[in-house]
Amino acid sequence: MSVVAQPSGRLSPAGRMVVPLLGTLIALVVVIAAGIATGIIPAIVIWLGGVILANIAIVRFIVAATAILLFTVPTAFVIIFMELKVIAFMNLRIGPNRVGPWGTLASVVHGLKVLSKEDFTPTGVDVSVFTLAPVATFVASVLAFMVLPFGPGLFGADLNVGLLYFFAVGGLGVIGLLMAGWASFNKYSLLGGLRSAAQLVSYEIPLTLSVVGVIMLAGTMSLNGIVQAQSGSFLDWFVVRQPLAFLVFFIAATAEANRTPFDLTEADSEIVAGFATEYSGMRFGFFFFAEYVNVFLLSGLAVVLFFGGWTAPIPWPWPVHFLLTPVDTLVALVAVLVGLPLVGSLLLALPTWMVRPRLSFARAYGTWLLLFVPLAIGLVLLYLLLNLDALLGIVWFFIKAYAFVFTFVWMRATLPRVRIDQLMGLAWKWLLPASLANLFLTALAILVVRP
Amino acid sequence: MSTVPGLGIVKGMTLTLRRFFQPKVTVQYPEQAPSIPPRHRGRLQLLYDEWGALKCETCFQCAMACPIECIDMGGTDTKDRFHVHWGPAEQYAERRQELALRRSGRPVPDQEFVSFDPVDTSALDAILEDEEHDPARMLSILERTQAHYGYLPVAAIKHIAHATGAWYADVYGTASFYGHLHLEPPTRHVIGVCRCPACSLAGSGAIRSALESALGVPLGGTTPDGSVSLEPSDCHGENGGAPWVTLDGARQPGITAAAAVQLARSLTGAATAGRA
Amino acid sequence: MATQIPSLDDPTVLVQTPATIYDAVPPYAPRTEREAEFYTLRDGEMLINLGPQHPSTHGVLRLVVKLEGERISDVDPVLGYLHRGIEKLGENADYHHAIAYTDPLEYISSLFNELAPVMAFEQLMDVRVPRRAEYIRVLACELNRIASHALFMGWMALDLGGLTPILYGFIERDEIVEMLAALTGQRMLFNYMRIGGVNGDLNHEFLSRLGDWMSHALREVDANTTLLNENEIFVRRTRGLGTIDRAMALNMGLTGPNLRASGIPYDVRRAHPYGVYPELEFEIPTRSEGDSYARYMLRVDEIKQSIRIIDQVIHRMPDGPVMAKVPRRITPRPGRAWAAIESPRGQYGCYAISDGTDQPYRFRIHDPSFVNLQAVVPLMPGNLLADTMAVMASLDPVMGGIDK
Repeated sequence: MSVVAQPSGRLSPAGRMVVPLLGTLIALVVVIAAGIATGIIPAIVIWLGGVILANIAIVRFIVAATAILLFTVPTAFVIIFMELKVIAFMNLRIGPNRVGPWGTLASVVHGLKVLSKEDFTPTGVDVSVFTLAPVATFVASVLAFMVLPFGPGLFGADLNVGLLYFFAVGGLGVIGLLMAGWASFNKYSLLGGLRSAAQLVSYEIPLTLSVVGVIMLAGTMSLNGIVQAQSGSFLDWFVVRQPLAFLVFFIAATAEANRTPFDLTEADSEIVAGFATEYSGMRFGFFFFAEYVNVFLLSGLAVVLFFGGWTAPIPWPWPVHFLLTPVDTLVALVAVLVGLPLVGSLLLALPTWMVRPRLSFARAYGTWLLLFVPLAIGLVLLYLLLNLDALLGIVWFFIKAYAFVFTFVWMRATLPRVRIDQLMGLAWKWLLPASLANLFLTALAILVVRP
Repeated sequence: MSTVPGLGIVKGMTLTLRRFFQPKVTVQYPEQAPSIPPRHRGRLQLLYDEWGALKCETCFQCAMACPIECIDMGGTDTKDRFHVHWGPAEQYAERRQELALRRSGRPVPDQEFVSFDPVDTSALDAILEDEEHDPARMLSILERTQAHYGYLPVAAIKHIAHATGAWYADVYGTASFYGHLHLEPPTRHVIGVCRCPACSLAGSGAIRSALESALGVPLGGTTPDGSVSLEPSDCHGENGGAPWVTLDGARQPGITAAAAVQLARSLTGAATAGRA
Repeated sequence: MATQIPSLDDPTVLVQTPATIYDAVPPYAPRTEREAEFYTLRDGEMLINLGPQHPSTHGVLRLVVKLEGERISDVDPVLGYLHRGIEKLGENADYHHAIAYTDPLEYISSLFNELAPVMAFEQLMDVRVPRRAEYIRVLACELNRIASHALFMGWMALDLGGLTPILYGFIERDEIVEMLAALTGQRMLFNYMRIGGVNGDLNHEFLSRLGDWMSHALREVDANTTLLNENEIFVRRTRGLGTIDRAMALNMGLTGPNLRASGIPYDVRRAHPYGVYPELEFEIPTRSEGDSYARYMLRVDEIKQSIRIIDQVIHRMPDGPVMAKVPRRITPRPGRAWAAIESPRGQYGCYAISDGTDQPYRFRIHDPSFVNLQAVVPLMPGNLLADTMAVMASLDPVMGGIDK
């Protein structure tokens, strides 16, 4: 405890904050050591392990849900940045370039700004509905994420009714928009809410019908299964066999994500900001987040249904597990086990040593080394668990999905907005017949080709 | 509308994609100055009138009106002495008067500074002369002024501001910041009470309230007759377990609330008696 | 229904009950028959205020729109939020100063605001303007017309939800405005026209910028118009919308592109020529449809004609002075004068009465936006809320000129 008893005046301000934490850490280590010595902790661990193994599905769900919830934030930030930068470039502007390299942190600053703004509740609103509306919208988006496969074996849940679940849960978002529009006590919001209800409900139908052809070809509603049905080269992707369905799906998805040219629900030149007119602060931020999460969600779905998900356009002619040969694995193991702790500890020990001038550099280095060794072992285990196939799959998935996101942004930069009657006419007079025709054609083809 | 459905949209999309790769037109203003044509009328220039005086009266109204504070002024004051930035009203009011006189052709009198409570400024002038009218030596000037007058009269501060070219607000701020500079005539006695936690635990709070009720003034105030002022003082952590109370800077060890009241009464009584 | 219409002079009419947030209609009894009709809501109708602060009302116009669902059943424009009393200011300034006040009237095309009063005052004074000055006036004004129309094309797209054309319009406008800044000394409020000429001759800076711009102007206009001209969404939203036929346009007294889009080739530059326009070759583009799309396309055509005029003006520019001899303090003989020009929005006129002093006795500005805005009320009913923006944008009103 001599560390704690040091007169705090000799420490730098940062050190003064760190020292009490060190005391806690030491106490914790003592308790754990005692627990291990007496055999209590091993017993608890064994018991916990048994419980976890018995309920592995629940644990997996919790981990996946947390990961996806955490994943939405950077996704929204990246898409917001893309929107700022791509539209700026297409407008012959430079766009954000002050915060972070090339302005990459601009969207993060936007997020912080939204967080720090006053969360204003205007007079006359239905407070409870007004408060719940952004949450409902956001939750619907995040829940739909659960079934999206990012890579082989990397998904929240592989439901056998995955696609149905996706549309069912994704369609819940409209309830949040309707709640916001109704509760805001504002005619612009009301118009926006009603527009969103009419638009999203209308476009659910062609959206759902357009993918029935895909389901028939794949023979499953599991998104994982649909991707596996497309494995092979890019000629096996469903966009080749279902171009009409893809067109209908893409238009309907644009409408479903409230993107230009179908962004009537928040048409700023007509109804100011639609359902979000009266929202400020983080509540508005939730709508904002939900919108961009939706964009990624529908891009991901388009990739999964029509562009082969995580599969590469041209499969590798040789097996991709080459890094898992014994020699290569050994090299990678040594690199991660030895290189990472040595370099990582050096990087973290330097600032620690600077904050605490009295601490010798060797001690600072040693402390961080103790922390890094388990991390390195964990990383190696993760690497073995996932293998290179999954990694490549994730990369391909994100490349394809962000190509779609780029297209959405590109359309926003180019196109004007359609009118509400044209929007409804498009859905009911063109997209619905087209998707039905596609359905019958597919069914016919299946009957003829595969008796 | 083109005959092929969707061709118009494709054309537009092609245009935006082409623009995506084109050089951008934004001028990054602070780093990259825009080219302003020579005929541009928005430049700031100071003009001279036919009497050879600057038309600019240094009224600073442009600087004050400028919402982003991009207008600033520099130069010498009317005595050709010091750098001026936009400052106290009393300065530019004088200057305007001087210029008006000069234009009208009448003789311009020497500026005789007249304040509402005049003081004899000859000694102050000597101090200022000694300090070279340098606003950077403000503290020294103020200390010597106080040593001469016993306190800092408003007229003296105004005179210092006028002579050094510093803002009145700056001089006043300096004078009011330091505890040893007084803007009011000194009282005969000062009772100081420390308010630090150690002294409060030792009972200085009771002494303070007793003194406040006895003198009839809050901490930091002066009795109406000017005989005693009650001020916060600082024990610097050396009170030694007893409340820190000073009389004219001297520690009163072992004082109690009753003794303090008695002390205060004696001082006010003595002062009243002395004055009567 | 027999609503009691109280007298306008009755002071109790104005405030009867305090307004609450639940009030859909004004908290006082209707003061006119139109108000009584407008503020009587039938079942399923609601009022919505577009403006005075709204993303797409071109300044501070307030449109009270009566909606039935999304369909407009009536509309009531409310003006006057940008009234600055510029006419009265002009009457209290001398003739030179009055011109400076006209700049912020129609702030998109300031040079035209100056030209009409200057021409009226020249009539009063009987001043002959040097030919070089006349050519420079035409050059500057046509540049300003292009700047105004370029911005119009962007606004039209912005009101329909397109984000990009407004930026392209501003790039175009910025080039022209920088050019005019080199000529006149300011970017927006030029204050360039003088009684008897212009303030300052052409200079190298202006001419080099003009040459740069002329080398790519037509190409840029053509490129930028491909964004919208053939875009299916844009065409479907504007074609057949807000149609003004010939009779209606004449009855309402529309002028400028809005009139020409209805098939009437009336242009002050040809009908009542002024300046050196009779010497120049250009066409008066017309369209017969009279809908929003025609009004949009007509302005695109006008930009090309203006570029043509500028090309001729540069080649025919005569030598000589740019200012006639005009006294500093001018006191015209008592009389009256009317001068009209073709501004980007139509016939822009100035009516000035002199009483023999150095200040105009009456200084009246006739603004085309004010007249064109009349078309809003008959055009809106039956359309959807989103069409308000398309029709408003295609009429291209500027509130600075309307409210004066």
